[in-house]
Amino acid sequence: MDLDIIPNGLAAGSLYALIAVGFNILYRPTNVFNFAQGDLVMLGAMIGASAMAAGAPWVIALAAAAVFVGLIALLENAVAVAPVVRRSSVSHAWIISTLAYSLIIDNLVGHAWGPDPIRVDPPAPLSTTTFTVAGMRTSSYQIALIVGTALMILLIERFYRTRSGKAVMAVAEDRDAALLRGIDPGRLSRWSFFLGGGFAAVAGLLASPVLYASTQLGPALLIKGFEAAAIGGVGNNRGALVAGWILGLAEALGGSLLSPGYQQASTFVLLLVILLIQPRGLFGQPEARNV
Amino acid sequence: MTALLQVEAIDVGYGHVGVLENVSLTVDQGSIVALVGSNGAGKSTLLRAISGLLRPRRGRIVFAGTDLAGAPPNRVVDAGILHVAEGRRLFRQQSVDDNLELGLYGARIARSNVAARYARVFELFPVLAERRRSRAGVLSGGQQQMLAIAQALMREPRLLMLDEPSLGLAPIIVDQVLEVLLRLRDGGTTILLVEQMVERALEIADFGFVLQNGRLIGQGPAAELARSDIVTSAYVGAKQHN
Ligand SMILES: Nc1ncnc2c1ncn2[C@@H]1O[C@H](COP(=O)(O)OP(=O)(O)OP(=O)(O)O)[C@@H](O)[C@H]1O
Ligand SMILES: [Mg+2]
Repeated sequence: MDLDIIPNGLAAGSLYALIAVGFNILYRPTNVFNFAQGDLVMLGAMIGASAMAAGAPWVIALAAAAVFVGLIALLENAVAVAPVVRRSSVSHAWIISTLAYSLIIDNLVGHAWGPDPIRVDPPAPLSTTTFTVAGMRTSSYQIALIVGTALMILLIERFYRTRSGKAVMAVAEDRDAALLRGIDPGRLSRWSFFLGGGFAAVAGLLASPVLYASTQLGPALLIKGFEAAAIGGVGNNRGALVAGWILGLAEALGGSLLSPGYQQASTFVLLLVILLIQPRGLFGQPEARNV
Repeated sequence: MTALLQVEAIDVGYGHVGVLENVSLTVDQGSIVALVGSNGAGKSTLLRAISGLLRPRRGRIVFAGTDLAGAPPNRVVDAGILHVAEGRRLFRQQSVDDNLELGLYGARIARSNVAARYARVFELFPVLAERRRSRAGVLSGGQQQMLAIAQALMREPRLLMLDEPSLGLAPIIVDQVLEVLLRLRDGGTTILLVEQMVERALEIADFGFVLQNGRLIGQGPAAELARSDIVTSAYVGAKQHN
């Protein structure tokens, strides 16, 4: 067996974890699963790639993509989520409204950019040139992606230990009880959408040196991010990281043992088996009581 | 005595269903006011309207001179009204300490005073001091009720509203909780208490109101109310309606 599957699997898995964490950031204060997440990721990649093609340095392109997509997500909250959640916190109309928003982004991006993938180089001094360590072929960008993802997710988890973070978790558990303590869920949702959108853009641009920036990025990553979120337990970011890595490794292993065509199938089988044994995911918490 | 809270002729409901009709009630500064009535009378609905979870269709809710009817809950909390909801609504996944910290959410309070707030609630409820790191969800029912009250007290409310704090608690725990309410009242906190244990509530209250099928059917000093038959008739009357 080829040891390369380890860095390859972990790098791909890191991207899945980033998407899943984006889901979670929006899910926590709203209990809404954002079906437009894949499109936010794709939009971030396209904006970042175009900015770089126009000569902007990596950091600027990344910041521009994050802020712009953050605003697009804020708009999504205003038109597709807040009105639905306000009317009833138990309605599931957000499934339709976030899907609709996703289709709109998809359409507009298709018109603005066309179908051709855009190549994105990694930020200097990182590169995708491979070298061999301990019998594994990898690149400095792959390693940075794996380590950087873990650090970013740990940082986000630290945020949830602040008072604002605890307030978000409080809203997730019992919206009315949070209201009665002076917490304004609408405000926390807006912040979460802005930050979750920015996070999606970062994930998209980080994926681009490996996968290219293209309008096809959305659906593919949406499914993988969804799988990672489900396996890790929806709302659980550390779980998402571990689950992303497990998925990436399973996919790489399935591809190398069977054939590349079985990559998709192997992750789906993994998802089904895990959810059959643990319906709330590997690290899911018991459902919050709602009286 | 001066009125801290004046509810003036409010109508409140859920969607198209009306529940409260033309309800008025006054809570004097520094008193304990009991609000009693049978199941479904609308007691919780009234508290929800005061705390901003429900918007009255009509009427005013004047607190310390300001009309709060229709104000969002965070403004009501800022004004100094804290509502301990029915059923011990805590953040069960979070620790005792985190629940108390959330009681301070949005409070404008100097850092140097924070420790004193914790010390105060631990002095009132010593058992919480022993469970600071436990998840709220694993506490006993009595401890959860104490934590729910303590969480509200972190904010040093001017008006504390409690919805059936005795529900499901052992008699000895009920005694402890009521004892704390008396101490709070003596310390200057005004209290609006909704209770099913009518006798116990009227025992510690200064004044009482009786609600039946969404309307106020009686009021008076707690001692007089306890002797009158209006309370029993409220329960019997409601049963006949059901
Ligand atoms: N969320 C809701 N939606 C619709 N109707 C409700 C809702 N909550 C309560 N009601 C109705 O409003 C009426 C008053 O209910 P409320 O909970 O205020 O009574 P209560 O006096 O607090 O009773 P209990 O002693 O049982 O707590 C009842 O008829 C109830 O069915
Ligand atoms: Mg009630």
